[in-house]
Amino acid sequence: MRSLFPQAHRFRAWTVLVVGITVLAAAFYAGGETLLTQLTEHWATVAVFVVAIAVGELFRLRMPSGREAAPLASASALAFVFLGKVDGEPNLDVPVGFVVLVVAVALLIAAVVRGFQDRTVGLDQVAARLIGVGVAAVLARGTRPGGRSLWDLQHDRTVSPSLVALGLVAVAGIGIGVELVLSSSVRSERQRTPWLAALRDEFGEVAPLTLAVVVSGPMVALMAPALGLLSLPVALFPLALTYVAVGRYARNRVTYRQTIATLSHLTEHGGYTPTGHAERVADLSLRIGRVLGIADRDLRDVEYAALLHDLGQISLIEPIPDGATVLAAPSDQRDIADEGARIIRHAEGLERVADYVEAQTTPYRQVRELGEEVPVASRIIKVANAFDDLTGGSDDPASVRAANERIHLGLGYQYDPEVVEALAVATSDTAVGRVGEREPAAR
Amino acid sequence: MTDEATQPSRRASRRVGLATNVYVGVVAAVGVCLTAAALRVDGLAFDATFWVFALLAMLTWWFGSMEVDAGRVNLSFTGIVLLAAIALVGPAGAGIIGMIMGPFQQGRAPLRARVFNTGMFAIMGVVGGVAYMAVGGVPGGDARIGTREIVRHIGLPLLFADVVQFVINLVLIAIVVRLAAGLSMRTQMGRLLESAGPAHLGYGVIAFIMVVLWGPARLGAASVFLILPPLLVAQWAYGQYAEEVKGHERALDVLVAAVEAKAPHLVGHSGRVAELSASMAEQLGLRAQTVADVRVAGMLHDLGLTTLPTGLVRSTGVAGGRGLRGYPVRGARLLQGLSFLSGALDAITHHREAVSPDSPPGDELSLPALIVGLADEYDLLTEVGTPDGGLVTSDAAVTLLRGTRAGRDDVIRALEHALSRRTGANAS
Repeated sequence: MRSLFPQAHRFRAWTVLVVGITVLAAAFYAGGETLLTQLTEHWATVAVFVVAIAVGELFRLRMPSGREAAPLASASALAFVFLGKVDGEPNLDVPVGFVVLVVAVALLIAAVVRGFQDRTVGLDQVAARLIGVGVAAVLARGTRPGGRSLWDLQHDRTVSPSLVALGLVAVAGIGIGVELVLSSSVRSERQRTPWLAALRDEFGEVAPLTLAVVVSGPMVALMAPALGLLSLPVALFPLALTYVAVGRYARNRVTYRQTIATLSHLTEHGGYTPTGHAERVADLSLRIGRVLGIADRDLRDVEYAALLHDLGQISLIEPIPDGATVLAAPSDQRDIADEGARIIRHAEGLERVADYVEAQTTPYRQVRELGEEVPVASRIIKVANAFDDLTGGSDDPASVRAANERIHLGLGYQYDPEVVEALAVATSDTAVGRVGEREPAAR
Repeated sequence: MTDEATQPSRRASRRVGLATNVYVGVVAAVGVCLTAAALRVDGLAFDATFWVFALLAMLTWWFGSMEVDAGRVNLSFTGIVLLAAIALVGPAGAGIIGMIMGPFQQGRAPLRARVFNTGMFAIMGVVGGVAYMAVGGVPGGDARIGTREIVRHIGLPLLFADVVQFVINLVLIAIVVRLAAGLSMRTQMGRLLESAGPAHLGYGVIAFIMVVLWGPARLGAASVFLILPPLLVAQWAYGQYAEEVKGHERALDVLVAAVEAKAPHLVGHSGRVAELSASMAEQLGLRAQTVADVRVAGMLHDLGLTTLPTGLVRSTGVAGGRGLRGYPVRGARLLQGLSFLSGALDAITHHREAVSPDSPPGDELSLPALIVGLADEYDLLTEVGTPDGGLVTSDAAVTLLRGTRAGRDDVIRALEHALSRRTGANAS
């Protein structure tokens, strides 16, 4: 079980964790007394939902950026928050604390199973989810403007069900929103990404999925008075379709990247570039890009361009020593970049990648003095490539320091100072800029 | 396609057209009559529910062409609306909804297809509605409460109506395809069953949710807004996926471009070998997946050249890869990690052995390896050049190739057939 607790210096992660534990404690304090009676009364409903949430947690979706989402678990948890009358079961008229406790138990069961499977657990993420559910529960069950909560209105036949549905969807949206804000905050701290960029990516990438989740929870609660517990699997069906479609899209992205990585191996197998150079440059470029707050959408092209930045060497008659373009003559560097871009342009849809590869050799001076447009992606690749050429892939502190110093000498002339600063951040801590708490090799 | 269909005489094609038109007319007339009969027998309340469905039916003009795809399941909004209409507006209403959908289907479809769809959807609506009621289905607008009640009187009847609609759909389409294109009904029905069968199960569940939300949960038209987002998201994800797949296929072009950058004399060679190999594989009756694998293998058979020193590759110049050893294995090794290319690796590894005179006789080579080897060598001889620099005529090349390991009769015949198709395509 790796990284159960966040590292000590991660203030935000700890805050979220502590708030999560507080929510749990408060729930226990408020609902603890009646816990046993509630459990005996609602055991069937509770069991069904605990299983649904835990299973949904185990079948997480891995998005193209590496971010994980558990749409089926989120929808089930929200459904439990809203659930009132259930045909064939007693009315789920329980305090907020009970709801939170049940969801917490389900999340913890899933966390333990994940731990045994040696997958990452990330208690801070679990806490973020629990807080989101807690907020939704307080809004739906515990807040009574005019003496009645949204939950009460579900059972009032004088109130339009459409209005209630709208309210439920809104509360579900707020609950999920809280979770996303918290988890992006924790993530941005770990990756050293600007929070706003992390928030934008978090919402941007999972937004469509979130939309589907936000309606699925209320759908269960609205159908339950008529359809009973059967409403849970039935209402989750459209979401499951979504899950399958998004999952396939994400998996295809993985194979696409493999194909691009294969291209980067051509020069390695030919002895033009050292083994692993392209992958390391891509990894470092991505991390620098995240520190700079580049959007996920654009990072894909940054990564592909970094993987392919040496492709042009393939038609060199004589290999450059160690493939280290940083030591080659500027005109040779340009020729290699141009040849690489020319090859990449053969594929429609990779034009941007080709542009990035082409512009990677332009010194930063030309941006500053001549106002030349050089994409930030190219500036990142230039720095990442230089760093890897200079360290030769070693992460020995002495060579990292030496490479950083050498690059600093070219600051402002060769390299963009902002990118160099991001490089310093990225090389100071291996967790910086990494999505998921995984080792780089597992990506 | 049958030979009859590839070379139709004008009179025959006119006869086919007439038969199809008559059939389409009959389907449309039956649809209209059934709807009228249902209206007369069952009546129809032109209430808010009906108008919402009429609106939805018109909206399928926009949604209908958008297909929700999850795995191999295509879900069109049309199917969902037509099924839910049965429970919510009754057989006559569903017939009218179907008639509204027909003309709005498929943006650029010809008039005949629109008329056919109008009739078919009307029949599906009315007959589906009657089937629903026949097995105890109740109008979904009744606010029935209770799991058992709802499953018994809405869920199962809806499932039954779903199956009935699917069968009608299957049969009517199979007949029209038989008439217009001459495809056997059994093949056509099998194909539809495989592609659309799971989708209809999906319609069933989603229409069921819509009906339960609409009636028993008292949401009315608002239920549309709850049911749409997950479908739209699945739709969106499918669009993204399709785009990525296209991009991914194009990325293979970069691999070919890399080979051509390394060996400029081979420009165009990979593409020609890919086409020729695929054509031969089709001719030999290989499965669709194998044909695709052979095509990719033909495309990437020279990838290993990129790992050799540029000087060496270019000095052996016109000989292509002939003077060089071991590069096919290196090419295959480069592609090893790509699971979607695993079917092509064997042919890439062994394609030179299929035609090389000094390759050790021993293990039997696979058919794809023979195909790619033969196509490669043929293209080298006739388009790139022989080791001594000259080009060889097509006939001479075929004669030369008969003496190689790949020169089996069936493979040579496939080559000749593929070549004749190629010249045929060039001529026309």
